[in-house]
Amino acid sequence: MSAASRQVRAWASLLVILNASVVFAGFIAPYAPNEQNRNLPFAGPTRLHFVETTGQFHLRPFVYLVVSTPGSVDKYEEDRSRRYPVRFLIRGARYTIAGFAADRHLFGVEEPAKVFLFGTDQFGRDVFSRLLVGAQISLVAGVLAAGLALSLGVALGALAGFYGGWTDDAVMRIAELFLALPWLYLLLAVRSVLPLHIDPARAFLLLVTVIGFVGWARPARLIRGMVLSAKRRDHVLAARAFGATDMYVLRRHVLPQTAGVVLTQLAVLVPRYILAEVTLSFFGLGVAEPVPSWGNMLAAVQRYDVLTSYWWMFLPGIALSPVFLLYYALANALHEHTALLSS
Amino acid sequence: MKRVVERLLTPALLIAVACAAVAGAPQRAAVRAEDLLVSRAEIGRPGGQLVINQHAEPKTLNPVTAVDSVSGEVIKNTIADLIHVNRETQRAEPALAKAWTMSSDGRRYTVTLRQGLRFSDGDPFDADDVVFSFRVHLDEKAHSGQRDLLTIGGQPIAVRKIDQHTVQFDLAEPRAGAERLFDGVAILPRHLLERFHTEGRLADAWGLSTPAAQMAGLGPFRFKEYVPGERLVLERNPYYWKADRSGTRLPYLDRLVFMPVTSDDAQTMRFQSGEADIASKMTAASFDVLAKAGQAAPYKLVDLGAGLDYSFLFFNLNDLGSSKLPDTARKQGWFRQVAFRQAISLAIDREAIVRLVYRGHATPLWGHVPPGNKVWINRSIPQPARSLDRARQLLRAARFSSKPDGTLVDQRGDLVEFSIVTNAGNSERVQMATIIQDDLRQLGINVHVVTLELRALVDRLLKTHDYEACVLGLGNADGNPNTEMNVWLSSGATHLWSPEQSRPATPWEAEIDTLMRRQLTTLDPTARKRLYDKVQELVAQNLPFIFLVSPNVLVGADKGLGNFRPAVLDPHTLWNVEELFWRQKRSSGTP
Amino acid sequence: MRYLSRRLAHGFLVLAGVSVLSFVFVALAPGEFLNEMRLDPRISPEMVAALRDRYGLDQPLPLKYLHWLQSVVRGELGFSFAYDRPVAALLWPRARNTLLLTVPATLAAWLIAVPIGAWSASQRGRWPDRVCAGTTTALLTVPELLLALGLLVVAVRTGYFPIGGMRSAAFAELREWAKVKDLAVHLFLPASALILVNLPVLIRHVRSSLIDVLAAPFIQGAHARGVPPRRLLFRDALRAASNPLISLLGLSIAGLLSTSLVVEAVMSWPGLGPLLLEAIAARDLHLVIGAVMCSTLFLLAGNLVADALLYLSDPRVRADQV
Repeated sequence: MSAASRQVRAWASLLVILNASVVFAGFIAPYAPNEQNRNLPFAGPTRLHFVETTGQFHLRPFVYLVVSTPGSVDKYEEDRSRRYPVRFLIRGARYTIAGFAADRHLFGVEEPAKVFLFGTDQFGRDVFSRLLVGAQISLVAGVLAAGLALSLGVALGALAGFYGGWTDDAVMRIAELFLALPWLYLLLAVRSVLPLHIDPARAFLLLVTVIGFVGWARPARLIRGMVLSAKRRDHVLAARAFGATDMYVLRRHVLPQTAGVVLTQLAVLVPRYILAEVTLSFFGLGVAEPVPSWGNMLAAVQRYDVLTSYWWMFLPGIALSPVFLLYYALANALHEHTALLSS
Repeated sequence: MKRVVERLLTPALLIAVACAAVAGAPQRAAVRAEDLLVSRAEIGRPGGQLVINQHAEPKTLNPVTAVDSVSGEVIKNTIADLIHVNRETQRAEPALAKAWTMSSDGRRYTVTLRQGLRFSDGDPFDADDVVFSFRVHLDEKAHSGQRDLLTIGGQPIAVRKIDQHTVQFDLAEPRAGAERLFDGVAILPRHLLERFHTEGRLADAWGLSTPAAQMAGLGPFRFKEYVPGERLVLERNPYYWKADRSGTRLPYLDRLVFMPVTSDDAQTMRFQSGEADIASKMTAASFDVLAKAGQAAPYKLVDLGAGLDYSFLFFNLNDLGSSKLPDTARKQGWFRQVAFRQAISLAIDREAIVRLVYRGHATPLWGHVPPGNKVWINRSIPQPARSLDRARQLLRAARFSSKPDGTLVDQRGDLVEFSIVTNAGNSERVQMATIIQDDLRQLGINVHVVTLELRALVDRLLKTHDYEACVLGLGNADGNPNTEMNVWLSSGATHLWSPEQSRPATPWEAEIDTLMRRQLTTLDPTARKRLYDKVQELVAQNLPFIFLVSPNVLVGADKGLGNFRPAVLDPHTLWNVEELFWRQKRSSGTP
Repeated sequence: MRYLSRRLAHGFLVLAGVSVLSFVFVALAPGEFLNEMRLDPRISPEMVAALRDRYGLDQPLPLKYLHWLQSVVRGELGFSFAYDRPVAALLWPRARNTLLLTVPATLAAWLIAVPIGAWSASQRGRWPDRVCAGTTTALLTVPELLLALGLLVVAVRTGYFPIGGMRSAAFAELREWAKVKDLAVHLFLPASALILVNLPVLIRHVRSSLIDVLAAPFIQGAHARGVPPRRLLFRDALRAASNPLISLLGLSIAGLLSTSLVVEAVMSWPGLGPLLLEAIAARDLHLVIGAVMCSTLFLLAGNLVADALLYLSDPRVRADQV
């Protein structure tokens, strides 16, 4: 086994673990994502203590009850009169995993104290729980939409580049049409024929199709250029001379040449498409409140007051980077893997 | 006959201004007497400019055809009206009219004009300009935004010139507070616009590309230049008809510079860094960010308290017929019950909306007249505190019941579930809907929040009626019930829960119709207030709108700006623009 | 030559298609320009009806399109409801401002991305490459609106830069040199925002296409022959890797009028951004379609340039065309 394929395995299994943990979001998240704590808006991350005011050390971390400072909207202080140790497998809000209902959470503290690892938003909702639950929609939707856009793009781009002539002209002109049209209006039209309330599962499918359907044109152009060049390479011409079918030549000799572009596009498009959900939400096609998604969480921090006053609202954004980095690393390893195979 | 005395003139002064004393005023008119209005505001210093941010670019400078609020913000500074509503006192005052009388039947107004006044291009102003202006505003083909207000009892106001300085207005039927109708009706220069009007091209006149020399008005400022996308500059009108107590002609400022700044946040930052001098209609978040600088800040912030805007939740009560929207029609069975609407109202945590959405800068509401409207509010409207228990009682009495898991079902066993639409661009409304959603979840009602783009939403509300409930807001421009006729009359186009009914659907809507029509023609202010109080009571009892909050008016200005007296009425900060002056300008000012 | 005329004919077809479909899309979308007015209690339905008539909103779609075509022939590109003016007169000054921002920004993004991407590829797997991967990932997760806003906050905190806008109020009184400086100071933040938005995509594509080439036998061979690595990287390898980059360049040109809309709106740059975002929401039909047509022109030009460059740079592609 080569180093490249070992890497591919490592990254892929890490990603599988990540996606699996997303499935268990309800268990890992200490609170329900839509649970409002109206007396705790914009509370910063709860501090985990090991040492009491008396100086006594505890191995098990604990928190204090957080109460709002009288006369202010977003200032808080700790009530140090009693400590609330962090407990594991604690009972809390009900959730379902793959159809099974449960109410045990990985960790938590005894009420009325709260443990907000990433602080709260303006309704006093736990940002950490929302981040985990939001991943269920956003992560998968982003990957699927990018996959759809790319497969359409590869198919059509390869078609255009490989056959050339009028096929090329037709596909590329259609791509130009797709890049130029004011899609927002069509989205509005689509929205108006849909029922008012769209449940999250259907909203999810809708997101994926819309983004994927509109997004194929750019990758198609990139792929077409590569295919145009690749099909004239000596070994490809040789293979054709030996009577290889179009399909065989495409799959065996032409498409591997485009692996770098395709994988790079994939790594670039996934985060872009997760953000695209924000725009779609604006037109009523995204994930609606109170269901969290990375898109609507990121949209909420794009404000001057949040930027200057509530730094923890950016923790989800910062947490996203490692996830995307994983995807990038996998794409990278795959690229090297195919590069080795084709050379 | 009742004589209305000019309020602002301390002694009714007739100053003959020696024009040499006033910078930029014409020499040839030196002998002419001018009926100047004397402002009682603090005496200021001439000079300087004011930079103002706008959410979008102005579209036109034509006071007749402008309908968008951004153009309106600019135009307001270039025009004057006969009678003006003082934004501070909320009362009608003489402006270009020196005085007016009303006949005892309330149908005839005789207005005496100030003499010797000039338009901003130096041309004299007289009764012919007034008659011309009203002819334009009332012309169907001119598409004036004022036309509907000036049509009374189905007939346009008849305007007649008595002499060079007297104009008579005849109304088809008596109209309470009719003098307020003159507010905002721009008096136009006949010498510049008559040609356009007779040729039917009025809409083409005074666009943004028109040379400044071809425009004139009676406002404190006049058009100077426009740079597409960047700025619009107004300069001081040297012929303006107000002066201060020392005889200096107003306005003090040399220039107003309007800059389009699309985003709220960029506006806040520009104000914070001194690149804009004044901020109106700030969001609560912006206000709080700016307030963090405390006393040391070079600007002053004012929370004026509740304004005239009010937000509300309402249900679709349209007659949907039988076929098209069966699901919504079924749910209307709940929506039409007053007890159901009352229960919803009782379950809503208005205090949380004030605190979480408006950071304390709002006032909870139970009726449609916000406390900012001091003249018309009915203070006896009950303000029941939030009570889930009472809400549950009401629902039980209306034969709703709870399932073991807490969800609410109606008498047929259908789950009580509906969606609230609101416009996506307005984050406050989306947040209010989110709070209501959580409030109603505690009653066992499953609410979906659906955000739609504004114009698509309007189609659903007024055309297709394909919605269940909606969170929206309305504003009352001058605090007077007459501007809200279309909201409360069952035949009105903005009778949002069920617009343009051919006959009132419910007895209480019929009663409101009668009361609103009666107050329109009742001249006695106390009798009129009583009628409107009753309207407020009926609305609060039947809750076609479930009122939420009235956002406070939040404004700010550079500390060096003198005579800055913001008001609850729009335009909050620039209503006395002619009196504003620079005490001193902060050093970091406009680059 | 024959190729060029064929492309022009096709371009014309695309323009026609875009305009027809845009009209259809707008017609399908719910809501119209006058809808906001309908919510104003002071405006009667009769008034709205009169305005509908004036703007021709009741006309059937083909007739609307015909009227628009007539005005295109007149060089007006339609008529804006909101501004009561021909669209062309509204678009030109703002399109110029947009290009003033996007052309330098796009150029700078490419000039920065190519060396960084190339270097990152040559350092594959080592820490400079990793740092590069981390930074581009982080940049990809930041929405452009947030990026622009963040830069404005920097401007407020430091006071070094104006908070948006394109020129100082006193611009007209400045001397020639000071005018250039003033413009540059205003340009800096919005251009930086645009560069940071475009950079990660470009860097990654440069890197990945070079990695393919660097593994190729001819480079390995040249390396073995002792060709200096820098020359190898920037001359031979980059040329061999140019194919996807040329397509990408075409897309960059295509986006000159449309990539900066959000940044312009946040940073008050007087370009197409603020105008268009308002027009889209307001359903100012002709203004939106006029802008769509303009950016379609750039798209066609960008693709034409890309195809021409592909043709010139790659003998294999050349053999296929004509």
